[in-house]
Amino acid sequence: MNTGWKALLGTLVVLGLCVLLLHRKAPAPTATTQAPGKVRQHLVLYCAAGLKQPVDEVAQEYGRRYSVEIEPQYQGSGTLLSSLTVTHTGDLFLAADQSYLDLAREKNLVEEVIPLARMRPVIGVAKGNPKHIRGLDDLLRKEVRVALGSPEAASIGRLTEELLTKSGHWERLKEAAVVFKPTVTDLANDLKIGSVDAAILWDATANQYPEIEAVRVPVFDKATKDVLIGVLKSCKQPTAALRFCRYLGARDKGLKTFAEHGYEVVEGDVWAERPEILFYSGGVNRVAIEDTVHEFEAREGCSISTVYNGCGILVGQMKAGGRPDAYMACDVSFVPPVADLFLEPQDIASTEIVMLVPKGNPLGLRTFRDLARPGLKLGLANPEQSTLGALTKRLLEEQGIYAQVWKNVKTSTPTADLLVNQLRAGTGSLDAVVVYKANCGKLGETLEIVYLPDKNAKATQPITAAKATKCPHLVARLIADIESAKSKKRFLSKGFHWVAPEPKQ
Amino acid sequence: MTASAPAEKATPPPTFRPPSDFPFYLGLGLLSASYLAVIVAMLLADATFTTPGHLLEALRSADIRYAIKLSLLSCTITTIMSLWVAVPIGYLLSRHQFRGKALLDAILDIPIVLPPLVIGLSLLILFQTPAGRYFQQHVVQVAYEIPSVIAAQFMVACAFAVRTMRVAFDQINPRQEQVALTLGCNRGQAFWLVIFPEARTGLLAAATLAWARALGEFGPILIFSGATRRKTEVLSTSVFLELSIGNIEAAVAVSLLMVLVAVAVLVIVRVSGVHLGKVYHL
Repeated sequence: MNTGWKALLGTLVVLGLCVLLLHRKAPAPTATTQAPGKVRQHLVLYCAAGLKQPVDEVAQEYGRRYSVEIEPQYQGSGTLLSSLTVTHTGDLFLAADQSYLDLAREKNLVEEVIPLARMRPVIGVAKGNPKHIRGLDDLLRKEVRVALGSPEAASIGRLTEELLTKSGHWERLKEAAVVFKPTVTDLANDLKIGSVDAAILWDATANQYPEIEAVRVPVFDKATKDVLIGVLKSCKQPTAALRFCRYLGARDKGLKTFAEHGYEVVEGDVWAERPEILFYSGGVNRVAIEDTVHEFEAREGCSISTVYNGCGILVGQMKAGGRPDAYMACDVSFVPPVADLFLEPQDIASTEIVMLVPKGNPLGLRTFRDLARPGLKLGLANPEQSTLGALTKRLLEEQGIYAQVWKNVKTSTPTADLLVNQLRAGTGSLDAVVVYKANCGKLGETLEIVYLPDKNAKATQPITAAKATKCPHLVARLIADIESAKSKKRFLSKGFHWVAPEPKQ
Repeated sequence: MTASAPAEKATPPPTFRPPSDFPFYLGLGLLSASYLAVIVAMLLADATFTTPGHLLEALRSADIRYAIKLSLLSCTITTIMSLWVAVPIGYLLSRHQFRGKALLDAILDIPIVLPPLVIGLSLLILFQTPAGRYFQQHVVQVAYEIPSVIAAQFMVACAFAVRTMRVAFDQINPRQEQVALTLGCNRGQAFWLVIFPEARTGLLAAATLAWARALGEFGPILIFSGATRRKTEVLSTSVFLELSIGNIEAAVAVSLLMVLVAVAVLVIVRVSGVHLGKVYHL
C-alpha cells in the first residue's frame, strides 16, 4: 500500500473514532430524569451571561419537576440579540436589562414580556471602601482609578452616560476614567482583581461579588431598570415557554432564587401550574372579548372563569364579597362603587345607546322625547340590574321625561340582547327598544337603528385589575391582550368605538 | 590577522583566537529568556488566583469534563480535516503557476485576517440562507450543534494549516520530484512516494498549529455554536462562562487545565512525530 492510501486511511480511522466518541453518549444539557412514556418538552433560552447563576438553578429545578428540558445559551445580551435577529429561532430571551428587550420588541422578535427584577446603578468599590468613595465627586479625585461601561456596548454604560450628562459629571469623568469595558461583569472583574478602584455598575452585579461593596448615589437611585424575560415570536410552544416564565417570575419560586443572588426582585405572581383567573365582565363586552379571552387561556395554559352579567349585579356580587382578578365594566359609572378593590382603570371602547325600531321606522321615532308619546309599546333595560338601563334612565331623567316614558314600558330586561330578540320576534308586541349599538350585530331585514342626537347617549367600557390578585402579571398580560390590535379589530367589528391608546403593531 | 611580518623574532607568533561567542549567546539567551519568563510569569500569576481545590473542582465537574472531551475530539477532527484540505492546496500553490493565483492566495488569507467574531457571524448567516437551511434540514443540523463547533474551528485552523503546508512544499527541492518523473513515475506517484514523505515535518507542524489554533478558538464558536452546557461548550467557552459570572478562580483553573492539556498533547505529538521521522529516515 502506498503512502497516500496509508495517510488517508489512517486519518479516516482517527476521524471516525472521534466522531464515534462524540456521538456515543448523547449529551443531556441538564441532568434530569425523564418521565417514561412522556415526550420531553425542550425550550431554548437565550440568557444574558451575567444572570447565569440564578437562571441555572431555577432551570434545573424546573426541569426536574416538570420534565421540561431548559437549554440555556449564555452570552452577552447584545450578542444574543444579534444572533436572534439573524436566526429567528429559540423560545425565550432573558436579557441583562430592559433596553435589550425594548430593542427586540422594536424588531418584532418578542411577544409577552415578564418582569423579574429591578437594578439600579451604584458605585462599586473594594470591600471596606479603602479609598473612601462616597459620591460621584470622589471619582474625580486623582488617585482614584475609575472604570466605566462603554456607552456603545454595555447598557450600564449607556445609562451612566445619560445620568451623568444630566448631573454634569460626564465630560470630566469620561476624561478621568482609566478604561471602558464592554460588559458590567468585566467592570466587576476588574474591581475584584484590583486593577481599578471604582466602577459604575449594577447593584445586582455588585451584590454577587463578596469582594465588592456598593455605594448608593442619589442621582442613580431613581434610575432603575427592569430585568425581563421575553417569549420569542419564533417560539413554537408558547404555552410551555410561558409556564416556565411564570415559574421564573413567581414570588414563591424563581424570584426567591434571584433574591438569594442579590437581586431586588419584583412583586411576582404566586406560582400555580395552571393559574386560575376570575374575570367579571359586563354582558355587552362578551361579543368583543370572548375570542380574545379564549385565545389567551389557550396560549398561557391558564383557566379563566369569565362571569358575564349586568354590571349592577356584578357590583352587587363584589359588594357581597366577590373578588374577581379582573373587571371590565359596561360603563365607567360602574367602577367608582368598587374602586377601592381595583387599580386605575383603562377605558377600552365605547358604544352608542340607540333606538331599535322596525324597518322603515313606521312611527317616525327620532329622539327620546318621541318615546314619551302616549300609547307606545317600549322595551327598556332594567335600571337596577344593567348599565344600559341605568344609563337610559339617567338620560331620560336629564330631559325630565322618565316618568312619562316609563308608562310606555311593556318589558324591562336585565340585558339588552333580550330586548333585541323580543323586537325581532316581531308580531307588533313592541314599537321600539333602547339598546347599545354593539347589541345590533345581527339585525336581519326587519329592524333599523335610530341614532340619538344626545351626545351622552353612549357607554364607555373600562378594564382594570384587582389590587389583591395573586397573579398581577398574568392579569396585566390578559389586559394587554384586550388592548391589542387584534382585540381592537374585534371591538370595531362588533360596532364599538376604540378609545384605548392605539395598539402598537 | 595583522601582526606578522616585521617583528618575526621578537615575539612568538600569536595563537589565533576567535572572539568569544559569549556575547552572542548572552544576547540570544536574554531575549529568549525574557519571553519565556513572561510566559511562565503569566502562568504563575494565574496560579496565585486559584487553588488546587479549584482545579480539582473543575476536574470533578461533569460540565468541564464534557468540555475537555469535546475540545479534544473536535480539535482532532478539525486537524485531520484541515490536513486533507491543506495538503492539496499547499501543493498546488507551491508547484504551479496559474491565472488568478494572487487572488486565490488572498482569499485563503481571509480567515486569518478576519476577526474571529466575524467568521462566527458569517457562518451563522451562511447557514440561515435558503441553501444553508436546506442543508441543515436535509443533511445535518449545524448551527448551535456540535458540527458548528468543528466548522468554526475548521474555518480558522485550516487557513493556518494551508500556509504551513505551502511553506513546507516550497522548501522541498523540486528536483527530486523531477528525477522521480524521469525515472518513470507519474505525478501522483512522485507526490506520494517522494514529496509527501519529505513533507512530514511540515505535516507535523501544520497539524500541531491547526490543533492548537482550534483549541484556543473562541470567538466564532460563541457566535455560531452558542455556549450550551454539555452540548457546544468547549474549554475556551467554559473560561468565558466562568468569567462572565465573575468566577475568576474557576476561569483561571480551567485556563490552567487547558494549558496542561495542550502542552501534554503537543509534546506527545512532537515526540512521536520526531520518532516517526527517524523511522522514515531508515
